[in-house]
Amino acid sequence: MPDLIPARMLAEFAYCPRLCYIEWIDGEFADNEDTVDGRFQHRRVDEDTENDPMDDDLEAIHLRSVSLAGPEVGVTCRIDLLEKEGKRATPVEYKRGKAPDIPEGAYEPERVQLCAQGLVLRENGFQCEQGIVYFVRSRKRVPVTFDKALVKRTRGLISELRRAAIEKKIPPPLKESPKCNRCSLAGICLPDEVNLLREMEEKRGSEKGIMVRVRKLIPARDDYQPVYVVGHGNSLRKKGDVLEIWSRDEGRIKEVRLREISQVNLYGAVDVSTPALVDLMQRGIPVLHFTRGGWFQGVSLGHTHKNVELRMKQFEWAADRKRSLAIARSMISGKIKNCRTQLRRNDPEPSAAVLESLDRLSRDAKKASSAEKLLGIEGAAAELYFGRLDRLLKGNEDFSLQSRNRRPPKDPVNAVLSYLYAVLAKEMFVTLLAVGFDPYLGFYHRPRYGRPALALDMMEEFRPMIADSTAITLFNKRELGDKDFIRTGLGIALTSKGKKTVIGGYERQMEAEITHPLFGYTVSYRRIFEVQVRLLSRVLFGEIKEYPAFSRR
Amino acid sequence: MHLSGRNCFVVSYDIMDPRRLQRVHKSMKGFGEPIHYSVFRCNLTPKGRVELIAALTGLIKHDQDRIMIIDLGPADGGADDRIEFIGVRAVDSSPKAVIV
Ligand code: SF4
Repeated sequence: MPDLIPARMLAEFAYCPRLCYIEWIDGEFADNEDTVDGRFQHRRVDEDTENDPMDDDLEAIHLRSVSLAGPEVGVTCRIDLLEKEGKRATPVEYKRGKAPDIPEGAYEPERVQLCAQGLVLRENGFQCEQGIVYFVRSRKRVPVTFDKALVKRTRGLISELRRAAIEKKIPPPLKESPKCNRCSLAGICLPDEVNLLREMEEKRGSEKGIMVRVRKLIPARDDYQPVYVVGHGNSLRKKGDVLEIWSRDEGRIKEVRLREISQVNLYGAVDVSTPALVDLMQRGIPVLHFTRGGWFQGVSLGHTHKNVELRMKQFEWAADRKRSLAIARSMISGKIKNCRTQLRRNDPEPSAAVLESLDRLSRDAKKASSAEKLLGIEGAAAELYFGRLDRLLKGNEDFSLQSRNRRPPKDPVNAVLSYLYAVLAKEMFVTLLAVGFDPYLGFYHRPRYGRPALALDMMEEFRPMIADSTAITLFNKRELGDKDFIRTGLGIALTSKGKKTVIGGYERQMEAEITHPLFGYTVSYRRIFEVQVRLLSRVLFGEIKEYPAFSRR
Repeated sequence: MHLSGRNCFVVSYDIMDPRRLQRVHKSMKGFGEPIHYSVFRCNLTPKGRVELIAALTGLIKHDQDRIMIIDLGPADGGADDRIEFIGVRAVDSSPKAVIV
């Protein structure tokens, strides 16, 4: 663990121990309105000397942004403003917003943070009996006295936080706390989701069907959108905060605001200017490179994720056959359930026998005693499922699915399925990277050069609902036709226009909002991907025992 | 509280110096679509709104220039209907997947 605790982190710890842990130990951070505004207000006060709360007091010396360490207290701090008169020192902490109407004048986190600064000042030879919180919006100075009780509380929190850091044990989420409503880390922490799953695991067997209300603390959809550039002769350039897409023949064909991009996918030889690439990397936007045929070649990425603990856990689990198998079992069982749901809902005359068998196979998968057995169960289920999938292509008698084949696909439906599976793997790859996993090390798929095994693992449960559904819709609605395919010597491939149609259909599906079967809120599939990947990380950290695959009923 | 949705904002500015004007215009292009000379429409999340204000605050001279930000409410809640165009209609700027 890092030696000294930043006083700011101690304030977070007082506010919510889990919040502090995620930020400080896991190195995760997320901005929301409040955090951006907080930094903005801080900067404003720093720059704006007219607002100096002390400019009428000429006796004192004012120092801005003073960094100090207190090895004995175990704290380091950056003091916004230090007022010094001889040996006497008073730290001032700026806070955005208004002074709260409470007897203490300021909330505990601020008081603890100031007190920790005070203790550091004392250790550095100053006399320090009180600090001041300056509330920017109400322009009010609120004094905080470092009395016995506050010092005791501060020291207590310091040792509690040290212990959490040494034991590497993430504090549990707060229970139904209003604090979570405005917490920028809610999407990482998943407080209600984790609490619900833990509760369900505790009660398993005794009491079934508890349904606690899970608050929707994550946004329904992403603020950012993917960019796909298909085809040779295109190039990307940066102009200000805009990404320009140029075509060799037609000039500038598109402008996209950089701050709204989530990922950039380049198919075939697409040029990227260095300024554009560097800007994308600095913003943490992955640039993924594919061959013209959709084969994933690699990713250009800025600094990698800081959550080293997660990757260590991932390697530990992947090396452990039993634990890997447990995760794989949930994923495959979930996938088979989703295959069954797909047939049950969309097959014009569902076969009771097939549904029954899939149901059984999904239960068998849960109990498979080895990875090989699981593979066998998955294969049997796939055969049943793909044997019926043709019946779902009811709206378009020009196309049919005889059997699943690939490398290269022999018919249009298989060509589209293969293409969609590649796009889906890409999506999981990006999500895993964003959460901090190593996408190449899986629990079910074994590592092989260039194969993002964990992405393949995680996409299993989504294949029927995302890829297969998209393919069926595209054919049934006749968005795809003969002209979208070309026969190559070996098989069938999509034309450039066909690929764009497929990607368009896929994106529609990803943005579709659906009700989460477990948590009951309505969000886009893209958000659900992230929730699932985060839940997987919670399994590795031991917070929940079993990976809850996403399965629709 | 808006957890997901974006609100539609109309941002207009008077900048007294041509160099600053250019910088403000360039910065605005990162947030929305120009719908008129010195008028932009931006669909922003609450966080985006603060980022816009922070970006512009750093660019303008506070005793000379002025910027007005009008909140037209949720972008998908009929904000568009509250803007009447006579003549050429400006394009919508809601972000969606770009496929070219
Ligand atoms: S969401 Fe709630 S429990 Fe989780 S870190 Fe934030 S405040 Fe703490």
